[in-house]
Amino acid sequence: MDTEFSQEDLEFQKEVQDFIEENLPKGGDMWSGRSNWFQALKEKGGWDVPKWPVEFGGPGFTPTQRYIFDLEMANHNTPMVLPFGISMLAPILMNYGSKEQQERFLPGIRDHSVNWCQGYSEPGAGSDLASLTTKAVLSEDAKDYIVNGQKTWTTLAQMAQWMFCLTRTSSDGPKQEGITFLLFKMDTPGVEVKPIVTLGGSQTVNDVYLTDVKVPVENRVGEEGKGWTYAKGLLTHERTGLAGIMNSVLALESAKENARSVKVADGTLMDVPAFKNKVGELEVELMALEFTELRTLASVSAGGSPGQESSILKLKGTEIQQRISQLNLEASGIFAAPWGRVNPGPRFSRGAMNGYLSGRANTIYGGASEVQKDVISKNVLEL
Amino acid sequence: MDLSLSEEQTLFQNSVQKFIADNYDLSTRRTLCASDEGFSRENWKQFAELGWLAIPFSEEDGGFGGSPADTMILMEEFGKGLVVEPYLATVVMVGTALARAGTPEQKAEILGGIIEGNILATFAYAEEQAHHELHNVVTSAGKDGDVYLINGTKSIVLNAQSADKILVSTRTNGNDRDTDGITLFLVDGDAEGISRQDYPTVDGLRASEVTFKDVRVSPENILGEPDHGYEMVEKISDHAILALSAEAVGAMEVLYTDTIAYTKQREQFGHPLSDFQVLKHRMTEMFMEHSLSKSLCMKATMLECQGSDEAKRAIHALKVLIGKSSRFVSQNAVQLHGGMGMTEELAIAHYFKRLAIIDSQFGNVDHHLTKFVDI
Ligand SMILES: Cc1cc2nc3c(=O)[nH]c(=O)nc-3n(C[C@H](O)[C@H](O)[C@H](O)COP(=O)(O)OP(=O)(O)OC[C@H]3O[C@@H](n4cnc5c(N)ncnc54)[C@H](O)[C@@H]3O)c2cc1C
Repeated sequence: MDTEFSQEDLEFQKEVQDFIEENLPKGGDMWSGRSNWFQALKEKGGWDVPKWPVEFGGPGFTPTQRYIFDLEMANHNTPMVLPFGISMLAPILMNYGSKEQQERFLPGIRDHSVNWCQGYSEPGAGSDLASLTTKAVLSEDAKDYIVNGQKTWTTLAQMAQWMFCLTRTSSDGPKQEGITFLLFKMDTPGVEVKPIVTLGGSQTVNDVYLTDVKVPVENRVGEEGKGWTYAKGLLTHERTGLAGIMNSVLALESAKENARSVKVADGTLMDVPAFKNKVGELEVELMALEFTELRTLASVSAGGSPGQESSILKLKGTEIQQRISQLNLEASGIFAAPWGRVNPGPRFSRGAMNGYLSGRANTIYGGASEVQKDVISKNVLEL
Repeated sequence: MDLSLSEEQTLFQNSVQKFIADNYDLSTRRTLCASDEGFSRENWKQFAELGWLAIPFSEEDGGFGGSPADTMILMEEFGKGLVVEPYLATVVMVGTALARAGTPEQKAEILGGIIEGNILATFAYAEEQAHHELHNVVTSAGKDGDVYLINGTKSIVLNAQSADKILVSTRTNGNDRDTDGITLFLVDGDAEGISRQDYPTVDGLRASEVTFKDVRVSPENILGEPDHGYEMVEKISDHAILALSAEAVGAMEVLYTDTIAYTKQREQFGHPLSDFQVLKHRMTEMFMEHSLSKSLCMKATMLECQGSDEAKRAIHALKVLIGKSSRFVSQNAVQLHGGMGMTEELAIAHYFKRLAIIDSQFGNVDHHLTKFVDI
């Protein structure tokens, strides 16, 4: 057992740090500097697509390098990338898409010129995703699928130019069969996006109504009826990414910072035992979770599969995220309440309430916690 | 021992339930929240006509001689209906303080108006540096000849925008955190030198930052004894906690029963969600939390009605339990509704937010737990 990074890994870490130091847009430049940043990452040798394999222009990181890379990026608060194209769809295209599809779609995903949204969930198909009913019927000339149905909870559909979508092409046999993976443009006639207002008042999720939407057959990924298999692989991708452990470590640090800025009696909130203990408990659990991620990494580095521990990353990670958001809310005290354009009290209080509200979704999307536990008890514990 | 409601109380409860059933569906509430003052003057008038604004006051004061138990009954129903009218601020906070410590003139002028529904009032006590500590008061009232000049800023003053009278805690002596040297003043809402920053709160209510700049008040406007206002501040807080807790109990009841109803009709994997054991257990726990909260709410309220020495400790306990239970029940109500729980369209979201704010009012779980274990 050895918990130290190797000399090469340490050198790599230094290289990443230096790169960030040199290229990360500073302060106010964050938004306008985005494209330069991504360009620099790309020129560095595929660092803009750290998870992509070499043959698709990725950097070919070892698992440990990937970990170090993610760690440093999170640590330095580098610009975020929406996951839909780059992390969710791209791996599917690489594994199951045709050469033409790869050439057609991957460049736009890579340079962020095309936004994608994920059209899986439906009103009747949430946890039980395989029961989806949005119908795709092949036209008589076999050139197009005609799609009818409704998708829901589609994140950022209002900003997306394309959707990757699960549709039903057959109802015979088990429900997992007969699902087909289609790609279509959001401005295709018959696609209608309606925002859903969520708990924090934000409008990031949408209902998407599909009425006689014509999707050319060449936009089908892989074989008809095999979409479930393709999507399932992607869901696993989605789940490990959702653990966000490094982000939680940083979020906890900033929660502590917030608490230290709140005066209580003669000290600060961090001097109040009841509060401090909660922070402590979270730190303990995060420490354990971080090392669990490392164990996963070690087993992948050794050429194995991620190991059974990896299944708990998302479950525990999202729970921790929610508890951190609660700390911020408590630190806001009475200033949790204001919700207008004004922000009296500590500056972090507005974000605290927002984080508390929107964070409730973390244990719902990407596999609700109860269902995740079912999956683990079945697949890992064989119960 | 008889813990059941009297016949009168049952009638009263029924009338509140009927009012809410008739007037308070979610879309009506939405309209009220978005209106100018954030509530309905029309409803307020009805409250007066129904006698609800007179409940806690003695017959001498023009009230019905009710007790915190009656307030509990009302607030629990208000919690179920997510009522937005300023009952807590006007009747529970300022009204009961006046009833306790008001001079005959103050009572005649203000309490009478409150009971008739003509005067709205609020209590300005919170300050930014205080976190949840009620005796941490910096806003000052300095003597200037015969009058006092109030200076300072009070935060999250409920419904200040609509308040004809503001009861404000000030420091007239001692250091920032002393319990002695606090004086309560009754000030006109539109007195010269008062400025406000009004805003909606996340739970659909209204509040303001209220700044006092050389606001002149005469000694007749002191409520109670100068320098000895803290006892009254605590009393107001106790009564507010009892009322808020009853409201939370009502809100939790809706959350767990709505969740049961939803999981019975929502099917996944070929079964209603309510068939899955883990969800059955979760809902059982939600029910347990609600029941325990209700018990402690009743206990603390009864002790307060009896004027018992144990009331204080029970009220700390109550606020602790309400905070913890509310969190459990509201978070799981969202969780078990899945994506639907995250939408503003369902009532769940609105109860969730209200409960989050109740925890932040008059001291949160940690604050009261710390006090509780020290008594
Ligand atoms: C903010 C947000 C963004 C989203 N973005 C997208 C997106 O971009 N694209 C997309 O396709 N989808 C998206 N989703 C949808 C998300 O994947 C679903 O909400 C999720 O799969 C849960 O489905 P549901 O909401 O229908 O809940 P349900 O499946 O109805 O579940 C409700 C509750 O029942 C529990 N439950 C269900 N089945 C069982 C069981 N067998 N045993 C025990 N408990 C069970 C669940 O754990 C949950 O607590 C998003 C959701 C949210 C909240």
